[in-house]
Amino acid sequence: MHLRLWAVGLVSLLMLAVPAAARASVGVGIQAGPVRLTGAAHPGGTYALPPVYVVNTGTQDESLSIRIERLSAGQGRAVPVAWIRPGAVVRLAHNQSARIPLELVVPGAAKPGQYLTDVIVKGSAALSGGGANLDVAAATKLEFRVAPGVVSGSWFAAPFWLWPGIGIVLLIAAAAAVARKFGLRVQIDRVPADAAVLPAGRGDDGA
Amino acid sequence: MMARSVKWLLPVPALLLVTGLAGCGTKAAPPGAGTAENINLSLTTVPTTRSIKVSPGNAQIGDCHGGLAGNDTKSTTKKLGFPDGKCFYGKPGANGIFPITITNTGIASDIYVSGSTAIPEDNGTGWRLCNVGEDPAHACTGRLHLVPGTDQYLVRNFSPVDKPDYGGLTDTPSCDHVFRVSHGCLATQGTFQTEGIELIGPSSSTDTSTKWTVTITWMPVPQ
Repeated sequence: MHLRLWAVGLVSLLMLAVPAAARASVGVGIQAGPVRLTGAAHPGGTYALPPVYVVNTGTQDESLSIRIERLSAGQGRAVPVAWIRPGAVVRLAHNQSARIPLELVVPGAAKPGQYLTDVIVKGSAALSGGGANLDVAAATKLEFRVAPGVVSGSWFAAPFWLWPGIGIVLLIAAAAAVARKFGLRVQIDRVPADAAVLPAGRGDDGA
Repeated sequence: MMARSVKWLLPVPALLLVTGLAGCGTKAAPPGAGTAENINLSLTTVPTTRSIKVSPGNAQIGDCHGGLAGNDTKSTTKKLGFPDGKCFYGKPGANGIFPITITNTGIASDIYVSGSTAIPEDNGTGWRLCNVGEDPAHACTGRLHLVPGTDQYLVRNFSPVDKPDYGGLTDTPSCDHVFRVSHGCLATQGTFQTEGIELIGPSSSTDTSTKWTVTITWMPVPQ
C-alpha cells in the first residue's frame, strides 16, 4: 500500500517536472524609449547618460551585459564604440530588472553633429537547442548631439587643479592665522662689523 | 614680518564660505498665499519594454548527411562529416519540425537574428559564417561558391513560411526572414514564430576538434 502511494507521488512529480523543463526559456528586455543625453555634449567632455533599464524575461538566472553597435536606420553619425563606457554586468533572476549606467566620453577631435547608435543588452545564459546555443539580446537607440566649442564649465566640471589649489590657499591662510595668534616672530639683529671682533683673552686657540 | 606678508589671504576662507552658502537659500511663500490641496490619481500604462523570449524544443541536431566515405569522413546520423556535411535541428518542409519558438514579449519591434563563429573545444581556429546567393555578406569559398570552403560554415534558419533562396545567417544582426510576413521583420507584441536550423559544415577544417560550439542570437530592435 505504502509502495503504491510512493509510486503515485513520484509519477505526479515527474508529470509536473516535464512541462516545467519544456517551458525553459531565455529572454531579455530593454527600455523601448531611446537613451538621450540632456543638452549637447562638447568635444573633450565626459557625460553620465541616463542609466538604461534592463530586465530578465527568461525562466532562469541571467548575467546581462551591455554593448554598443549601430543597428537602427536613421539620421546621425555612427558612434565609435570607445565613446561609450557601460557599467558592470548585472546578474538577475527571472523577471528581475536593473538600471545599468552609461558614460559618454567625447574625444577632443569629435565632429559636431547628431549621433545615433544602439545600446544592446545581451544575456549570458544561452539554452542548448539540440547542440547549438540559442541566445537572446534586445536593443534600444542611443542619441546625443555634439556641439562645437569647449566643454561648458561648471563647479563640478572645473579643471583638475582648482580644488587642490583652493586647499593650498586655505592651508596657507590657516597657518598665517595660527602664526598671528601665537606671536611667532623671526627677528634678525644686525651687528656692526667692528663690534664683531672678539675681546682679548676670549680666543679659543689656547695660546 | 612673515605674518604680515600673508595677511591678505585671511579673508579667502570667509569669502569661499559665503559664496557656497549663497546658493543654498530657500524661497519663502509669498504673504497671503492659500493652503495647497492635493488629490491622488492612480494611472496604469502599457509596458514600454522591448523584449524577447526563445524556447528550444526537445529535438536534437540530427539527420546529418554528406561527407566522403572514401576518406572515412562521411556524416553519421548525429555527427557532421567532411566535406560539405549537413545537419538539421528540426526538419524543413510542409510536414516539417520547427523546435525553436521565438516570441516577441515586448512592444512592436523588428526581430533580428545573427550567428557566431563556430568555436572548437580547444579554442583553436574557428569556422567563420559564410553566405551564398547574390551579394553575400561573406561569400562561401567552396565549390561554385555554393558551399562553405575551408574553415567556413553556413547556417540557415527555416520555418513553415520558409524562403528557399535564403543566403544564410551572418555575424551581424539582420532581419529574421522568418518574421518577414508583411514588410520588414516586424513583430507585434505576443507574435511568435517557430523555426528550425540547417547547418552546412566546411570543405575541410584546420582544427581537429570534434566538439564545436555554435551560438544563434535573436534580438528585437527599434523599427
